[in-house]
Amino acid sequence: MKRLVSDGPLLWQRIGVKIAFAAFVVALWEGVVRMQFVPEYLFPGPFAVLSRLAAMAWDGTLIASVQASMGRMLLGYAISVVGGLAIGVLAARSWLFKETFGSVILALQSLPSICWLPLALIWVGLDERAVLFVVVLGALFSIATSTEGAIRNIPPIYTKVGLVLGARGIRFAKDILFFAALPELIGGLKIGWTFAWRSLMAAELIRANVKGVGHILEVGRNYNDSAMMLAGMLTILGISLTVDILFFGNIERRVRRRYGLEK
Amino acid sequence: MRIEFSEISKSFSANGKGGQRIQALLPVNFVIEGGEFFSIIGPSGCGKSTLLNILAGLESPDTGFVTVDGTRVERPGPQRAVVFQEAGLMPWMTVSANVEYGLKLQGIPRAERRERAMKFLKMVHLSRYAEALPHQLSGGMRQRVSIARALALEPRVLLMDEPFSALDAQTRDVLHDELQRIWQETRTTIVFVTHNIREAVYLSDRILIMTASPGRVKRITTVPFAHPRQKSSTELSAFAAMLHDQIKEEVDKVAATELDPDWDKRPVPVAPLPYGTGEGI
Repeated sequence: MKRLVSDGPLLWQRIGVKIAFAAFVVALWEGVVRMQFVPEYLFPGPFAVLSRLAAMAWDGTLIASVQASMGRMLLGYAISVVGGLAIGVLAARSWLFKETFGSVILALQSLPSICWLPLALIWVGLDERAVLFVVVLGALFSIATSTEGAIRNIPPIYTKVGLVLGARGIRFAKDILFFAALPELIGGLKIGWTFAWRSLMAAELIRANVKGVGHILEVGRNYNDSAMMLAGMLTILGISLTVDILFFGNIERRVRRRYGLEK
Repeated sequence: MRIEFSEISKSFSANGKGGQRIQALLPVNFVIEGGEFFSIIGPSGCGKSTLLNILAGLESPDTGFVTVDGTRVERPGPQRAVVFQEAGLMPWMTVSANVEYGLKLQGIPRAERRERAMKFLKMVHLSRYAEALPHQLSGGMRQRVSIARALALEPRVLLMDEPFSALDAQTRDVLHDELQRIWQETRTTIVFVTHNIREAVYLSDRILIMTASPGRVKRITTVPFAHPRQKSSTELSAFAAMLHDQIKEEVDKVAATELDPDWDKRPVPVAPLPYGTGEGI
């Protein structure tokens, strides 16, 4: 009998198709470069870019840049998470906070965080702290607003059950509220990471004298080295995908499975 | 054990804060004795769940107070365990951890609370699922765990707010028998809110019938049959039918406010009765 609803592709089929398509895109890229519509120094082929990447990996600039960027990211993100969770909880639980600071935060969230950089440079000077400032502002408000949403969206049954079982105060917050909000909270933390990462890249590009993966692009531009710029972009893309899919994607999936939100 | 409702009344605002006030409960007075299976029935919107929430401490009355053994109810707590319509198991905890959590809050050592959780999981026949996660259970099984979780608190009174109304008829039948057995084993006082007359007649010692909104006590009836009861017994059906006739008046009042004025002129009533009166319970 013909089936009306298919089960969808199998895992090996999905991976196989992905690999084949990636190979096709690389081949297309190389093909376009070989036809020389644009000079190769402006638009290098995949092999040129990969060998540039390998060279940077070999001489240590790649590792040093990734380390510098990730160090800033982790510090800035950690500050944003702690601050954002605290602000989010306050906004969800206290209407006074919500009506005062809450509306300011909502307004500030609409301002792209990179717009703070010029002011930050004057305030804290031409150094790491200005970049960190922008990273924190990039993620803080987004984490705060999504934390507030996650807490407000907790099904009331868990609150009622928690109270009946005798949970109060800090126990109630960490045993019930936190876990009840967790599936949505992780989504907020993921978005916060993305915002922080974008802010960092923008800041590293503009603040040309700080080391970092964003800076690779700036150096590449100064030397008219397109392969270097593309290699830098690939590095940035690689880090984004690793964190989004491998790290956050994995945690999100595990939590959703445990909660029975997906199979 | 004695629960006393004194002059309890409650109103709500219709459209959020500052809207028109709607009187949900007029002053209500009654007493529930220890060990009793006491049901509260009434048409939808009569405030029966509000009454239960006030006893639980989840809502506070506008006037009056509830006392349990002379102590006023101020806030929710494990002495008055509640089984809600949704099982409300915490999905991040295993079945056993759900049952144990209330005991953990009371500072009961791990081994003892584990033992107590297993005792009550056995009572609802789910000891094999102690390490399962809630989403791996069926709706009926979840409600069993929810009952075990409430019983494990060894409460003075067990409150049940339409606990079986979200389940299918077969599961509900099985759980009625289970609840009757558990009640006879534990002799816990049970306050049971339902809109299902046959369910109330099958399980209860006494039934409080509420009027349509604003809710008042219409009357309190004693069900004159010894436990354990047979669901198929004709006396039980006759008694339920008699109660149904008495309550019809209140149901009609609700229909009159909710439906078009022509609803009762039709030869066949189309108004859905807020009571379950179909076959089985």
